[in-house]
Amino acid sequence: MSAANAALRSLRLNARTQARRLGLWVLLALLAAFVAYAALREMRKVAPDVQPQADHAFSQQRPAHSAAEERFAQAMWNIHTDVRTAAVRMTFAGLAYKMGDGGHADIQTKVAPLTAVFRQADSQLRALDVPASMHQMRDRYSGALQLYGDASQEMIKVAQDGKDAHLLKAQEMSELAAGVLLDVGDQLWPGEIKPN
Amino acid sequence: MGGNVKSQVFKALAGAALVAATALGASVAQAQTCSVWLVENSRFLKVPFGMFHPDRSFVQGSTDARNNVNTVDLPVNVGVIKCGKELILYDNGWNQTDYHKATGTDHWSPLSKQIAQLGFKADDVSKIIIGHGHWDHAGSLDEFPNAVLYVQAEELRGIEWALNYPGHERIRATNVDKGGCSRTPACGYPPKTVDSIYGKVLRGKAVIVNGEMEVLPGVRIHPAHRAHTAGSQLLEVPTAIGKLVFGSDAYSSWEAIRDWEVANIQQTDSVQQFLAYEKCYKITGGYQNCVAAHEPLSYTDKYPLTKNSWVGMNGGRLAEITLAAGESSRKK
Repeated sequence: MSAANAALRSLRLNARTQARRLGLWVLLALLAAFVAYAALREMRKVAPDVQPQADHAFSQQRPAHSAAEERFAQAMWNIHTDVRTAAVRMTFAGLAYKMGDGGHADIQTKVAPLTAVFRQADSQLRALDVPASMHQMRDRYSGALQLYGDASQEMIKVAQDGKDAHLLKAQEMSELAAGVLLDVGDQLWPGEIKPN
Repeated sequence: MGGNVKSQVFKALAGAALVAATALGASVAQAQTCSVWLVENSRFLKVPFGMFHPDRSFVQGSTDARNNVNTVDLPVNVGVIKCGKELILYDNGWNQTDYHKATGTDHWSPLSKQIAQLGFKADDVSKIIIGHGHWDHAGSLDEFPNAVLYVQAEELRGIEWALNYPGHERIRATNVDKGGCSRTPACGYPPKTVDSIYGKVLRGKAVIVNGEMEVLPGVRIHPAHRAHTAGSQLLEVPTAIGKLVFGSDAYSSWEAIRDWEVANIQQTDSVQQFLAYEKCYKITGGYQNCVAAHEPLSYTDKYPLTKNSWVGMNGGRLAEITLAAGESSRKK
């Protein structure tokens, strides 16, 4: 009987030990789950902060230029700024005339000084130190300046005979030249034109 | 003498009949509605949202849906409007392919080819009404030689004013910043664009509008000066679903019209932009029928007017907004 009691006592002791172990494991598992949950929660909180800043497409990338090419692009930009303004001025001299804001003589007054701007820009362009890789671009731009100069001379003729045919011929030349300006600008200053 | 009386009575009756016929014709013309499509001429990619829609500026880490959008893709929308035999474009996108690299654009195609997807030929376009003269709205004029251009005189005078302004170059129409030419008057009007407008004027293919003008019965230009540029203009169009108002960049964002916020500020007076919004509310009875030029939600269910859409050439989208009686769907 005492042997049986001893065996029963031993069984109870084992059961208690196992229950304690099981409890410990459950506690550990709960702790691990809590730690994992907390970690995930923190990671979620952090996520928006690592969102990158706008990498918008028109902060345009173009092939890297050499130092000489960069110098040329910068020097051309200074010329281009004046040319572009003069070109729009010339167009508006014609538009104002067609809208009845001034007569033939006003065209001469407004456009004659622009011929000098285009010719001078061409001289400045030709005086630049041009890298071999940009000779063709320089020549195209120079051609556009010639066209603009010729267009301005053509426009002025309207002051002499009043014939709109001169304006039409000049506009065609001017629009061709404007296309070249865009081509060249696209290669040298890709951020020049933005969504409006 | 008797013959004279007879003749006079006959003339009076004929005159009355003529007046009646004219009145009847006018009322029939008044009742005419137009079919309308929208064409995505191109898409500007990854534009910082705050640059376009300042009240929706991106705030890093924000969980507010209004401020957690970093960049948006902006369509360049062109309205294609058929009223009887007249085919009208409202705005005309751009065709200078060299701008592609410069602007970070995708899905561009020549507008004449895009409208061919709707079964229209470039030569069929009879009128082009530009909401303003910026390069991305007035850049395809050469593709439509028969079309008569409608532009506000104020738009042209505004450019000229800036061109001749004697003060600071940032106000004067001089493009001084090759890397960031935004906002100043020079940026929107490159020589190519103004030359093509001038070409239309020289060829007798332009109407220079002063203020309001009815271009067809019920199709009416409304001035919206300084709502985006000096001479911005809206277009009211009668349709089977009620009146629509096209706004070009005065209505750059449909969400901004809905929420009364400014958008795409260039040469813009914000009060004038709001007055342009109000014009749409008054004409159409709300904001649903206001047609926006660059709304990022265009061609989706979220901008219901434009939801009946499909994808066309080079990924550019189109929408069939409304059809007049007797007009068949051109959706493919």
